Amino acid sequence: MDSNKIDWEQVREVLRIAGEAADVAELTVETPTLKVSVKKTAAGLEMRTSANPHGDRVGAGVAPAAGALPAAGALPAAGAVGLATGAGAAELALPDQMKAVTAPMVGTFYRSPSPDAPPFVTEGDRVDAGQTVCIIEAMKLFNEIQSEVRGRVARVLVENGTPVEYGQPLLLIDPLA
Amino acid sequence: MFRKVLIANRGEIAVRIIRACHDLGIRTVAVYSDVDRNSLHVKLADEAFCIGPAPAAESYLNIPNIMATAELLGVDAIHPGYGFLAENPHLPEICADVKIAFIGPSPDAIRKMGDKSEARALMAKAGVPVIPGSAGPVDGEREILQVAQHVGFPLMLKASAGGGGRGMRVVHTRDDLRTGLLVAQREAEAAFGDGRLYIEKYVQEPRHVEVQVLADAHGGIVHLGARDCSVQRRHQKLIEESPPPLLRERTLATLTRAAVRAAQSIHYTSAGTVEFLVDKGENVYFMEMNTRIQVEHPVTEMVTGLDLVKEQIRIAAGERLDFSQRDVAWHGHALECRINAEDPRADFRPSAGTIVTFFPPGGPGIRVDTHGYAGYTIPPHYDSLIAKVIAWGQEREEAILRMRRALTEFEITGIATTIPFHLRVLDNGFFRRGEVYTNFVQRRIDLSDV
Repeated sequence: MDSNKIDWEQVREVLRIAGEAADVAELTVETPTLKVSVKKTAAGLEMRTSANPHGDRVGAGVAPAAGALPAAGALPAAGAVGLATGAGAAELALPDQMKAVTAPMVGTFYRSPSPDAPPFVTEGDRVDAGQTVCIIEAMKLFNEIQSEVRGRVARVLVENGTPVEYGQPLLLIDPLA
Repeated sequence: MFRKVLIANRGEIAVRIIRACHDLGIRTVAVYSDVDRNSLHVKLADEAFCIGPAPAAESYLNIPNIMATAELLGVDAIHPGYGFLAENPHLPEICADVKIAFIGPSPDAIRKMGDKSEARALMAKAGVPVIPGSAGPVDGEREILQVAQHVGFPLMLKASAGGGGRGMRVVHTRDDLRTGLLVAQREAEAAFGDGRLYIEKYVQEPRHVEVQVLADAHGGIVHLGARDCSVQRRHQKLIEESPPPLLRERTLATLTRAAVRAAQSIHYTSAGTVEFLVDKGENVYFMEMNTRIQVEHPVTEMVTGLDLVKEQIRIAAGERLDFSQRDVAWHGHALECRINAEDPRADFRPSAGTIVTFFPPGGPGIRVDTHGYAGYTIPPHYDSLIAKVIAWGQEREEAILRMRRALTEFEITGIATTIPFHLRVLDNGFFRRGEVYTNFVQRRIDLSDV
C-alpha cells in the first residue's frame, strides 16, 4: 500500500464541505496522513494538498475536484493550483491547459490491455488524439478509452484495478508538450 | 438480511429508501448524475457513486452504469424507487443474472401489468371488473368503430405502453374519431415507442381509488386499504387521502377483494397498487396496476402504522409477512399534498432554481418527506416534486385542518411552489365535504387568482 497515496474520498469531502458552506472563505483540514487547504477566490476554489512527508506531485486540485467545484469542468477555474510537497517543499503550479481524460462510464480502471501486458501509456509518453490510453471494464465488457488531445501524459491519477465513477479524471494530458 | 443496498433513484424517494435501510441496519449506496452531486440522498447514503451526466437516459436509466456500480461496490440488492427503472423488467432480469436481489416484483409481473391493454385482458379473465372497452389493442378505424358501437361515446383512447396518466385521449363523438385516432397513435409512438392503442368507455366524473397490496414470496398477501387520488391536474395526482371519503363499506370491500385477486392472478410479490375508477353509482372498474412503491405510500403508512419500504426490503430478503390480514388495523385519516416546484399562477410552469429558505412544518400528525434544504439547487432535468406533506388526524376534518396549518407554516423561498394551490383546494367546500372526482380541479378550482 503506497503511503504516498492521497485519500481522494477525504479530499473530495473537504472540497464538498468548503464549496457548500456559503460563509466559509478558507478551510484547512489536517490529519496525520493528509492536509487539505481550500480557499475560495473569485475564480473558483484553490486547493493545496499534501500527503505524508514525501508527498506526491499530484494533479491535486484537478483530480477529484471534477464537478465538486463551483466552476464546472474537470479543471479548477483559472488560477494555479498550488501543491505543498512535504514540509517546506517548493510549490508547483499546474498549467491551466492540462486536459483530463475522464471516465465516460462506471467500471474498473485498467492501465494495460491484459494483466501481463505493459500499460497502454506511462507518464512522459507522447499520445495522439484518438489513442487508447486505458481500459474501463464493466460487467465483463472492456471499453477502450481514448485521449481526445495530442500531447504528453503528465500524470496517471487512478491506481490500476480500482473502481471509477462517471466523470472521474483518469489521466492528465499536457497538450502543449 | 441484506448488508448493502443500492438505491437506483434520486430525490425524496431515494431519501425515503435510505432511511428504511438505515432503520434495518443496512448500508446504503446512492447513485447520482453529475448535477445531483449535492443532493440530499447523496449526503445521507453511506457511499455514493456518480453514474452519468444530467440526462436521465445517461444516468438514472443507465442500467450498465448502475449495475457496474452495484457489482463494484459489492451490493446485495437494488431498490428502484418509483419512476425511472422501477417498472423496467430488464433491471430485475439483469439483477437475477448477477445474483443481486431486486426489491420489487418479478420481471414477469412487471411485464404483464406494464402492457396496459394486456393487463385489462388478464384482469377480465381473473374476474376483476374492467371498464367496458376493447379486449386488447385495436387495429384500424373499422375495429374501433365496432368497439365504439358497443362501448358508446364519449370514449377514451389509451396507449398500451402508457400509464401514470399519460397517453390518453378522449373522443367525444364519432366525427372526432378519425383525427383523434391518428393523433393518439402518433403521440403514443413518440412518447412510448409503441403506437398501439386500446379503447375504454369514458367514465364520467369518476373517482380515482386505488388499493395498496403487499405480498411476500411465500403466498402471503394482504391489502392495506384504499386511497383516493381524485384531486389531479392533467392526470397528475396532487392530493391523496385514506380512507376514501364517502365510500360505502361494501364498495371498499369490492375494491380490496378485486385488488387481492388481481395481485394473486399474476403471482405478485412486494408492494403494489391496483388502481380503479369508481363511478357515481359506485361501480368499480380496474384501471391499471402499479408494480412499484408509489409516491403516496406515506398516506397508507400513517393510517396503518406500517413501514411499506421496510416491508419491501424484508420481502425481497425472503422473509414472510409477519402479520396477516386480520392483524391490519386502520386508525384515523391521512392526507398527502405533493408540493411541486411549479408556479400555479403561470400554468404550473416548473420553477427550477436555488432554494433560499426552507422551513418545513411539524407538530402532531405532520410528516414531511423531502430532499429539499436551504441552499439546494433544483436541477431542471427531473420531475418537480420537492416535498410531500402528510397530515394525519383522528378524522378527516382534523387531518385537513392540520394540513392547512402545516402548509401555512411551510416556508420555501427562492422557488415557486404549488402550496398556494393546495391551500385553495383544502378550503374548497366540495373538497371539505369529500365530493371529489378526477375533474375536480378543472371544475371547482379557479386558478386565476391563486
